[in-house]
Amino acid sequence: MKKVININFQGTIVPIEESSYELLQQYIESLRRYFANEEGKDEIINDIESRISELFQERLKGGSTCITDDDVNAIIKNMGRPEDFEEAESSENNESSNRGSDEKNKSFFQGDFSWKGKRLYRDENNKILGGVCSGIAAYFGIDPVIVRILFLVSGIGILAYIILWMFVPGSNSLENGVRKRLYRNPDGKIIGGVCSGIGSYFDVNPWLPRFIFLIPFISFFFRWGHIGPLTFPNFLSFSFSPGSFIVYIILWLVIPEATTTSEKLEMKGEKVDLNSIKNSVLKEMKEVGVRVGKMGQDVGERVGKMGKEAGEIAKEKSADFGKEIHSASRRSSGVLGKIIITLFKIFLYFILGCIALAIIVGLFSIAIVAIGLFPALNNFLFAEGWQHLLAWGTLIFFIAVPVIGIITFIIRRFARIKSSNRLMRWSFVGLWILGWVCFISLIVSVGKDFKSISSLNPEPITLINPTSKSLDVMPIENINYRRIGWFNFEPFDFGATDDTAFIRNVRIKITKSPTDSFQVSVLKMTNGQTRRAADTLLSLIKFNVSQSDSVLMIDRAITINTTDKFRNQNVEVTIAVPVGHFIKINKGFDYGNFVRFGPFFSGNDRWYYDNDDNGYDYNYGQQYVMKEDGLYTLDGKRSDGRDDWNNNSTEDQNESTPPGNNNGGSYRYDPNNKVDSLKNAQEKQLQKMQSAVDSMKAEQRKEVDKMKDSLNKAKEEINQKIEKLNKATALYQNTSEQKFSENYTFIMYI
Amino acid sequence: MNIDNTASQMRKGVLEFCILSIIKLGEAYPSDIIDIMKSANLNILEGTLYPLLTRLKNAEFLTYRWVESNSGPPRKYFSLTEKGAKFYEELEATWLELAGAVETITGKNKQP
Repeated sequence: MKKVININFQGTIVPIEESSYELLQQYIESLRRYFANEEGKDEIINDIESRISELFQERLKGGSTCITDDDVNAIIKNMGRPEDFEEAESSENNESSNRGSDEKNKSFFQGDFSWKGKRLYRDENNKILGGVCSGIAAYFGIDPVIVRILFLVSGIGILAYIILWMFVPGSNSLENGVRKRLYRNPDGKIIGGVCSGIGSYFDVNPWLPRFIFLIPFISFFFRWGHIGPLTFPNFLSFSFSPGSFIVYIILWLVIPEATTTSEKLEMKGEKVDLNSIKNSVLKEMKEVGVRVGKMGQDVGERVGKMGKEAGEIAKEKSADFGKEIHSASRRSSGVLGKIIITLFKIFLYFILGCIALAIIVGLFSIAIVAIGLFPALNNFLFAEGWQHLLAWGTLIFFIAVPVIGIITFIIRRFARIKSSNRLMRWSFVGLWILGWVCFISLIVSVGKDFKSISSLNPEPITLINPTSKSLDVMPIENINYRRIGWFNFEPFDFGATDDTAFIRNVRIKITKSPTDSFQVSVLKMTNGQTRRAADTLLSLIKFNVSQSDSVLMIDRAITINTTDKFRNQNVEVTIAVPVGHFIKINKGFDYGNFVRFGPFFSGNDRWYYDNDDNGYDYNYGQQYVMKEDGLYTLDGKRSDGRDDWNNNSTEDQNESTPPGNNNGGSYRYDPNNKVDSLKNAQEKQLQKMQSAVDSMKAEQRKEVDKMKDSLNKAKEEINQKIEKLNKATALYQNTSEQKFSENYTFIMYI
Repeated sequence: MNIDNTASQMRKGVLEFCILSIIKLGEAYPSDIIDIMKSANLNILEGTLYPLLTRLKNAEFLTYRWVESNSGPPRKYFSLTEKGAKFYEELEATWLELAGAVETITGKNKQP
């Protein structure tokens, strides 16, 4: 009893037994594979199909009700199987080899293949870039996917690839004899069938790859070779347990599952033809029989599955046909054209490769930074409960998902897996959206915790000998600031215990003392969810200041712990230096990483505004002396390096000094105008000129008449300039105001 | 060296020549070509004929026209182009030369 189906074959309806139909499919596919490198392969296949169709019609007219296996076999025998005309082809290739150098390669190759042993060629038919990998795979008889992954993973892969691309000749007729391919094995799976598939690819017990994947977990258990929690080399090496986990997930996504019988056979490396499929199905049926014997159930389901599988094979095969029609071989004529095209391709691929590499590196570094920062942020920034959950969500869905997604995409591209993965794509997108939700709610939630600001009034420190000639500021070295590992993104230095961290938010400000004694004051500031919470946090900031002779010892860092969290705690030490006294800030305060979370121009940000208002610039480890008009180094330079500016202004005065010139009311800009820094500078300069002018009046009275004219000119010029400046600044004012009001960004200072 | 291989190589070498010469007689349908060759005891698989015809057609030695058929899809009838006729003449000259040479050599061999 056989099922008969109707097929539309070359425009005619043919009733055919199902098994015969499979036979026919198989045959035509073998032809298609055989003629894959032929120029007019579609036409050839079409002609053959037409002929077969014609023969079918003859049979049907002869009285048969449908096409049977015998009919198909007879036709195939007449037509010949690819194996039958293999030898004929080789001689025909030799005949046609004078047509082009391409063909020459082909015949040479086949010659080599049969008697001289193998030669390495690039596989032009099966290429993604230059066919190097698939050529190597064909040479060694392995799955090109493996060679591609090795090239991708190894560091010198790209260079080696380019060199091989240039020097290895291409070939159009390379056939990778191995029909074994890497699949996930759904029948022997524990998690995703990855290990089982690898095992059957390498012909080893699936427990071997499983064990290799498990080693990191076992070693994790025994703590072998675990140096630090998340140092860089460990993160990528397999000795770090999540490493193999991630590798597993990527392989899971990349390697296709062997769902159909033909794929399962390919997985095991058996030759895919009808007989082996039949055998395998029969084998499975037998197993079913055993199971039926054992359980007496499940049969219908299983058989249904078989049928489905057969249908799937058919479906896939037809899809393959379609694909092959599209990839009809194109050959360009002319050697020069070929060279130009090749060069252009190399160039294009090089650029594309660079971009892809940059994206991957960028993603990796984002992921590594995020993972590196994560424990510190989790411990010292995010509150327990919801925020921790959101932080994990952000890490996994917002950062890890796109990284894995893009890596998967690239590997799939390289492995030439074209199966429709709409489900996977949408789940990636969905998870990433979830990641966004986590990320935004985390920011909002953390932002709330930073809402209020608390600061006490500066707390004066009484000095033992405030009038001493000089003061050295030294750090108290009672804290171990040593960092762990060479790869550290954490904003916090780890303390002696796991739940404390040091944060070096200590700033030292030097001002001029109004009296003749040193004055030191400490200002503590912090954020918090509420005013009260911030106040509590403020009281928890411990900051030690002590003095011995002319040395002031102050803490270099603030301690924070996991319960109180980091809420922008920071300390500002103001040292007022009397005129004529010396000050030195020890180098130990250098290299601090100032950490602060919060929006940029948030109005109520006190230390930000204090930053350069009354403090002087200085360098660590240098002695300074305070003078009337600022802080100077011992060899007489200003600490802020503005000497040049002063000199310039004096010269200006000499050139255009008007004796007896009045205060130059005309120089003044409209006071109603908005104040602008540019304008301020201009005004200052003018005022300085004016005062200098006054002091030099006496000396220069003689030259008055000569200079008057030039001065007037200069005056006019300056007027014009100021007018222009006013216009420009008014414009700038408008635009910049808009900008600043919108500028509200989440920024982290490290 | 196996005899089958050498024999088939020899046969295949003149295949194009034979096909062209059949088509030269008049428009031909592939299965007709097969029949003629079979009757001349030159067995060839249909599967090898089609690619050969396509190659010759792509080299512009052959051309074809569609003919409606009452049994199945329309048929392709092949005929020689001018270029193909020229090519055939060249092949023929080569063949005669070769056959003469082979005959002379093997004929000598036969005479001890």
